[in-house]
Amino acid sequence: MQSSSHAAGGALPVPRLAGHFASLEVQNHAARLGMWLFLATEILLFAGLFICYGIYRFLFPEAWAAASRSLDLTLGTVNTVVLITSSLTAALAVHYAKDGKNKAVAVQLGLTLVMAVGFLVIKYFEYKHKFDIGTLPGRFYSYEDIQLPGVPLYFTVYFCATALHGIHVVIGMVVLSFSLVRALKKADFGPNNFTMVELGSMYWHLVDLVWIFLFPMLYLV
Amino acid sequence: MGIANESRQEERNMREEHHGAGRYWLIWGLLLVLTAVTVATGRIHIPTWGLLLALVIATTKGTLVALYFMHLADHRGANRLVFAVSIIFVVLLLSIPMVDLGTRFRGATPPGSTYSDLQAIDIGADAQEGRYGGGLRKEGKMGEGSDVNKK
Repeated sequence: MQSSSHAAGGALPVPRLAGHFASLEVQNHAARLGMWLFLATEILLFAGLFICYGIYRFLFPEAWAAASRSLDLTLGTVNTVVLITSSLTAALAVHYAKDGKNKAVAVQLGLTLVMAVGFLVIKYFEYKHKFDIGTLPGRFYSYEDIQLPGVPLYFTVYFCATALHGIHVVIGMVVLSFSLVRALKKADFGPNNFTMVELGSMYWHLVDLVWIFLFPMLYLV
Repeated sequence: MGIANESRQEERNMREEHHGAGRYWLIWGLLLVLTAVTVATGRIHIPTWGLLLALVIATTKGTLVALYFMHLADHRGANRLVFAVSIIFVVLLLSIPMVDLGTRFRGATPPGSTYSDLQAIDIGADAQEGRYGGGLRKEGKMGEGSDVNKK
């Protein structure tokens, strides 16, 4: 498939082929590679927090175990299931986008967004409980039942990691919303045009991927 | 030309899926099973191997997500390279500080930590409000930095 055939014909309104790409395949490949490069920086961003976690867990193992057990494992497990299921619907959205089933894409992305909201609501209740009992970072820690060196550090790591992850959930929701609106309004996703859904979905899977590691690290010490 | 071939192959893999939506449901089921396993094994707090087991399960789940949900299995050369290199860097970033920390002179570890001879009480903070332990916030003062209780 040569670029000239696209440029000259103009029969396909989407996707637009930029002049500097030899073909649509190369353009899609470049888009995907760019997304992977961006996701690599995201992985390294979270890696910084994982290192803090590793170092302080090594230094304060008892505090880590005690603090971890003060979290609500049920809520954490429910949130894990919610996020994994939202990843499934995001993957299904890409699947339907390839088939050009725009209604199904909108439904799957809608479900993903609903579960994302559910995740954040559960997270809100977990945060609220921590503010109520005083398991907070640094000098704001005031929980009488666990008094061990290093416990406030656990909550520093906990809040940094889950808040950064929460921000990613919100950004992912915005990204997927754009695809949702397009699937409803323009309804032009199809075998030649699904990169937008695909890349948005990749971002969402990264959010899921990070949580898959955060969950056992924080809740199951 | 090599890149063009790679693009073409990747495009073909992505466009003509060799599988239906069933594969995603299968992966989802596997992820839920693995979540159940990690919760079940995590709750009994296996000493020593608990962390390793949790990380192995999490890595398995992460691999499933990356390969099938993120389509790394259908992608070619460059994408896989980028992902693999980022994972290698994460492992390096994690292991080098840990090796450093694990081989330190005891006196160089933070007071109050398991590997330090100095505990909270030795550094002028009472056990109830160890400098590194945070401790109770009492009326009229905010945790560390206060010398009311210093010996």
